[in-house]
Amino acid sequence: MAIERRRFLQAAGVGAVLGLSGCTGNTSPTEANNETSEASGGSQSEGESGAARELTLATTTSTYDTGLLDALNPVFEEKFNARVKTISQGTGAAIETARNGDADVILVHARGAEDEFLREGYGVNRRDVMFNDFVIVGPADDPAGISGMESATDAFATIAEAGATFVSRGDDSGTNKKELLIWEAAGVSPSGSWYREIGQGMGDTLVQADQSGAYTLSDRGTFLATQDNIDLEIQVQGPLKDGPTILKNPYGVIPVNPAKYPDVNYSLAMAYAGFLTGPEGQEIISNYTANGSQLFFPNALSEEPQFGQYVPEDYDGGENASESSASVSDAQFESWVAQHVPEDF
Amino acid sequence: MFGLGDLNLTYLVSITAVSLYVSTAAVALSAAIGLPLSLLVGFRDFTGKSAVTSLISTGMGFPSVVVGLVVLLTLSRSGPLGAFELLFTPEAMILSQTILALPVLVSVSLSAVQSVPQDLRDAAFAAGGTSTDVALLVVREARYGIVTALLAAYGRAISEVGSVLIVGGNIVFSDSTSFTRTLTTAITVEARKGNIETGIALGAILLALVLGVNALGARFRDRTPGRNGRGR
Amino acid sequence: MTAGVPGGGASGASDGSDSASTGARRSRTRLAARGLSHGFGDGAVLDDVSLTVEPGEILAVVGPSGTGKTTLFRLLAMFERPDEGAVEVGGDDVWDLPEARRLAVRRRVGMAFQTRSLFSTTVEENVSYGLRVRRPWSARVRDAVEGLFGREEPSETVEDALRTVGMFDKVDRDAGSLSAGEAQRVAIARALAPDPDVLLLDEPTSNLDPRNTAAIESAMRAARDRGIAVALATHDMQQARRVSDRTAVILGGTCIESGPTDAVFESPDDDRVRQFVEGKLVY
Repeated sequence: MAIERRRFLQAAGVGAVLGLSGCTGNTSPTEANNETSEASGGSQSEGESGAARELTLATTTSTYDTGLLDALNPVFEEKFNARVKTISQGTGAAIETARNGDADVILVHARGAEDEFLREGYGVNRRDVMFNDFVIVGPADDPAGISGMESATDAFATIAEAGATFVSRGDDSGTNKKELLIWEAAGVSPSGSWYREIGQGMGDTLVQADQSGAYTLSDRGTFLATQDNIDLEIQVQGPLKDGPTILKNPYGVIPVNPAKYPDVNYSLAMAYAGFLTGPEGQEIISNYTANGSQLFFPNALSEEPQFGQYVPEDYDGGENASESSASVSDAQFESWVAQHVPEDF
Repeated sequence: MFGLGDLNLTYLVSITAVSLYVSTAAVALSAAIGLPLSLLVGFRDFTGKSAVTSLISTGMGFPSVVVGLVVLLTLSRSGPLGAFELLFTPEAMILSQTILALPVLVSVSLSAVQSVPQDLRDAAFAAGGTSTDVALLVVREARYGIVTALLAAYGRAISEVGSVLIVGGNIVFSDSTSFTRTLTTAITVEARKGNIETGIALGAILLALVLGVNALGARFRDRTPGRNGRGR
Repeated sequence: MTAGVPGGGASGASDGSDSASTGARRSRTRLAARGLSHGFGDGAVLDDVSLTVEPGEILAVVGPSGTGKTTLFRLLAMFERPDEGAVEVGGDDVWDLPEARRLAVRRRVGMAFQTRSLFSTTVEENVSYGLRVRRPWSARVRDAVEGLFGREEPSETVEDALRTVGMFDKVDRDAGSLSAGEAQRVAIARALAPDPDVLLLDEPTSNLDPRNTAAIESAMRAARDRGIAVALATHDMQQARRVSDRTAVILGGTCIESGPTDAVFESPDDDRVRQFVEGKLVY
């Protein structure tokens, strides 16, 4: 009953708005109309064939801006007769969107924030999907002299000591979270005129760092994709090229818990998670390149059990089992790199 | 992949269409609410009138991002209107754009209708007009200012980015057709990717649209007779 | 004006088919003020004013500026409800009538103002305004749509009203391009076009040149000759004497004397009226 009334109200509201816009001779009422009817029809006939079902995916800008999702989603849509509505935000914002029940599934890269999301019960059935790494980039003349350093924390400490300009995303994204983690590990609390938080996306941040001769932390994928437009160079490599493991950048997919939000399209969200972590999705990820370089390395397929991916990293199963779970996960990451990343990457 | 070639025609046409659809619907809604409101505020006394007036002038400078956040909270599934499932739809964008365009439209059209002399309203009444006729006459007399108000509201709606990004979600389907991506939010995507030239190209399209709408408005204003009338 | 018959009878002029009226020969109603008192927060007060305008006569309401003539005329035109007293049309107190009836009664009264009051459109559309608002909404919407595809010829009613004020040759002009006197003549045509029973003219010729004044006075006579009850507010004693059949003198918000114009001017009862008539009383 409640559902039917809601549908009716939705249809009435949308109809009113569309009707009104129709009077004013707008350009695409039919298009919008089709989509809304699909939206309501789709959720009703969930699990049946027929009208396309819609999946709302909240994800990070890095998966979207690199074009990876443009390679993955059409295949998924074809296979499952679905339509993916992708909202690309920072990881923090994407998780917040899902926390409000406004997305069906998230694809993000900030394990700490993901774990919190799981622990609060908003997400279920987390799976590792893929990884790449972060790199520390800076101007070619490397004013702080960090080039080739093997420790990200040492590099950050050197930048802080030299007072060389550093541009921070400052937007609660996965990259921003990682950057803060490194500062913390380096024992520096960045402040002063050399440290600029700009609250923007990765591309904006790279452009700004480029323009102001500054260092920044970037995911490798976006840096590679943006490379043509800027003059920054990688000063400290990530673990994909023998850099420090702290610069690892693992992505996870998490469906929103239908017990929290009964209206989320859970089965389709699970299908999406299954697609990304299945052979087909993993192969697409593996084959996706930009500027001739592979951007993401799939790591979902494994014959060995990898229980850690389903639960928060420090989850001890109710017993006081693992003090050193973080290093366990680091060890796992290093073995992925050994398995998945070619020697000559 | 990341150059101008990335922007295929379907994509350009559909983000432009979404921009036009959302802005036009928002301005139409604003006009439907705002014109009667400016007549009411202009010529009637009622309790709370000064509150309405100051709300309108405050609303002019209201940050669009805040409007976006408020609409987001309201339409979110965990919010009061969550049951309508309107978040991340063009309708949500129309709602936030209406909230943004309405104060602009009302304040400009208010000063336009208030500048219509009392004598003309009296003349319409004395000629046998009802209060509806008088209101219509005022709208007709103030048409120059009202068209300006509509254009100002349209300008605010179509060039706005903060709130549509938040409540629309900037969605494009995999066949390159836009669901909630507008020209402005497409520009933010290009900026994020560092594709400044592409962003500027989209900005040029936006500018052309605004110019076109203004030219249309100017044509309408200049074609109507008697706009130099009622000189004293 | 075609073939006006002097003496207050019905004229031979055709009333347009657009008009809500029933034709030239229908009976006209009178307009009466009964003990009108009205005040505002500041100044201009009327105190117990009674007067009547009969069909086929011109009543001049004279008095110095600021004495309440405009307030009186606004009450007669039913702009607002008087504090006390009644405005009567055809014997009914208009403010006792339900709103729809009051609108119908109000539409039998036309008015022109002292100040310029033409709408920003053509002369034709100004004059036809009263006719258009009387049409049903369906017809008005249709007219508006048709109006987008070219302009229609002015109706006979509009032509006739414009001829009455001698402005027919300006029918297509933009109202904004008219001189003050021409604008006032068009405003009177606008009041005449719906064929009212009563025509209220509030200082219609103040600040106008003699030629336009003469045209307006001739229009007043033509209206009277059609049987319309014409009330003219003026501070110009010579004009009152020239055109009116009866005169009422308002001083300080009160009607101090009224009667046939000749009597008021030649043998006023009230001393103040005599001074006023002789130009000795200056306000």
